[in-house]
Amino acid sequence: MNRKSIIIGLMLSLALFLLSTPSSAKPIKVLAQFPMSGPVGSLPEFGWGFIDGMDYINGQGGVNGKPITYFLEDMRYSPTVEVANFTRYAAAENRDEFILASGYITGGLKPLIDKVNKEERIPWLDGSYSTEIFGPEGGPSKYPYYYSLGATYGDQFRVLLNWIKEDSKGKGKVAIVYSPTEWGRDPLAMARAHAQKIGLQIVAEEEYAYTATDATSQVTNVRKAKANYVFYHGYSGAAPYTAIFMKTAKQYLKKATILGTHYTTGRYPILIAGKAVDGMVGAGCRPQEDEMDNPMVKMAHEFAEKYKRKAGVKDMFLYMEGLTYALIFHEALSRADKAGELTREGVKKALDNMVWDYHGLFAGRGFSYKSHTVPTVRIYRGQVQKEVAKGGRKIGIGTWKPLSPWINTDVELK
Amino acid sequence: MTDLIQTVGAGLLIGCVYGLLGLGIVIIFRASEAFNFAIGEFLVVGSFLFYLFFFDLHLPFLLALPLGLLAAGALGALIERLSIKPLLGRSPLSMTIITLGLASVLRSSVQLIFGAHSYSFFLDLPDISLESENLLFPSERVWAGLLSVVAFGFILFFLFRTRWGVAIRATSENQAKAMAFGIDARFILLLVWALSSMCIAMAGVMISNFGALSYLTGIAGLRAIPVVLIGGMDSIGGALIGGLIVGLCEALVGSYIEPWGLVGFKDVAPYLLLLIVLFIRPYGLFGTVKIERV
Repeated sequence: MNRKSIIIGLMLSLALFLLSTPSSAKPIKVLAQFPMSGPVGSLPEFGWGFIDGMDYINGQGGVNGKPITYFLEDMRYSPTVEVANFTRYAAAENRDEFILASGYITGGLKPLIDKVNKEERIPWLDGSYSTEIFGPEGGPSKYPYYYSLGATYGDQFRVLLNWIKEDSKGKGKVAIVYSPTEWGRDPLAMARAHAQKIGLQIVAEEEYAYTATDATSQVTNVRKAKANYVFYHGYSGAAPYTAIFMKTAKQYLKKATILGTHYTTGRYPILIAGKAVDGMVGAGCRPQEDEMDNPMVKMAHEFAEKYKRKAGVKDMFLYMEGLTYALIFHEALSRADKAGELTREGVKKALDNMVWDYHGLFAGRGFSYKSHTVPTVRIYRGQVQKEVAKGGRKIGIGTWKPLSPWINTDVELK
Repeated sequence: MTDLIQTVGAGLLIGCVYGLLGLGIVIIFRASEAFNFAIGEFLVVGSFLFYLFFFDLHLPFLLALPLGLLAAGALGALIERLSIKPLLGRSPLSMTIITLGLASVLRSSVQLIFGAHSYSFFLDLPDISLESENLLFPSERVWAGLLSVVAFGFILFFLFRTRWGVAIRATSENQAKAMAFGIDARFILLLVWALSSMCIAMAGVMISNFGALSYLTGIAGLRAIPVVLIGGMDSIGGALIGGLIVGLCEALVGSYIEPWGLVGFKDVAPYLLLLIVLFIRPYGLFGTVKIERV
């Protein structure tokens, strides 16, 4: 064999190798966005949970042997940043490869309605629980590519209003303190309608701004209206304004019960507002971080241990949130791949037909994605015994105790 | 009537804190005619310095507070030496613009050192809540009002009853004349920045005690703008009166106007009031009227 035939042979081998590469080996690309900095504070736990989840998934063989390439972005709690991030990836990446995306804020969903649902037609999972987008006026028929990872704020209000009716024996006077934002105002119409339907009075509605240094006038107005159940909605539990509201409300509204929705029903309000959170009732779309009998919570703790995150995690809920995104990404992609359709449409079909128990996240209760929400809510009550000095700080020590089983809002509220 | 007393009382208590914030602006303006736009960042840094003494080193409040304020004063002096002193002799506008840059540097430094998350803030001072059947002034509000007034009194005493205070006032009146009388105007400027930082830190500690402390707490510093413009940029008494007016305005609007459906009006009202005051008295209620002929 002379040199010429060797070169020809090598070139032919190379050509054969390139031609024989299976089409299924195309990269699988996904985009995840979380509010890791900005007005809610520094919350890197979101990103850590997602990175560790993806690392684990890829370590286990990814999507049936194919690794997932992920892009992780900090959307800084800003709709503009979220929209810009997605637009950049949508422009730069190949449609066949970039097949799943996520966001975290209602303000980002709205400007992307046409881009996601008509132009790109890419499945989009979101931390927004917008009633307008995912409730009866929106939903899969109007926004087919949008999916939420929790029950809508409207449904959370309905669950809590039902609880108030039961707790007050129908005599509850309700006030709503909400943030002057899209997500703050989002459940108001549904809350008013449901309160009227079940015979509860809404006696006050107060806006309380993110820039507030004082909540006295809101709280005294609520007191004047003689409300005995006060919703605090549309806020991060991690920010100083939540501590201001909770501490002020605790003093002025001694006989009232404060109620929160998903993002204020967690460890952070206890840490920063301490005993002021004692007795608060909240709706949660995930289990609390200390429910160690829950397989998913246990798994999140094990992950944090394995990936040496424990020391840095201030709120395990946030870490678990990042992890749940990674897991649902994996589940949807794997189902699409098994169906032989690892495309945007295939992932959408997989999500639409998904019936899953989320690694036991809801105590064994499965959910279907028919309404494009994960329609499960549980009512919790905050129990804070004391504030103790720990690591140079004085923090609240307490927990959230379940007051109800997991409620499927698609089934049990309709 | 009880309701009005409740509203007015709450407004006056927070107004005292605003007055202290305003004083932090006024004493710098009197000495150098510069406006400190980094007030929010000074508030956060000062509060964190107190935090270190009280929560990290577990010093008693009566020791941690003066130490925290002294540290805030020292930091204010250091900042003056590094960023303001080189501008002596230049237009006050240059100093004002420098404070905008200072705000960015301080905000980023706080996030770098302390992170961007909230720190719980429980001072646990003795309970001095004022409470009757329909009235309630929570303990931390009463403490905030009391300590702000005490701090205000200390500053007044320093300015009007000590040699350094006289020197500061002399420099504020006329820098060239003061220097001719042997007053070191450079040192006076340093002293003024230290005093201002202490006032702002004191207000910051009180505000943080209402909720929690994070770099976002600095937003409260913006309240000083209507305070000093209403009271008069160069009037020490005007800062207190301006603070009380802004506090009252917020409380009254929040309680009596917002419920009519004008939600969020509470945050705008002090600025509307400011516009009205400026139309009638462009130098503020107690500001010195200056006539410049060109």
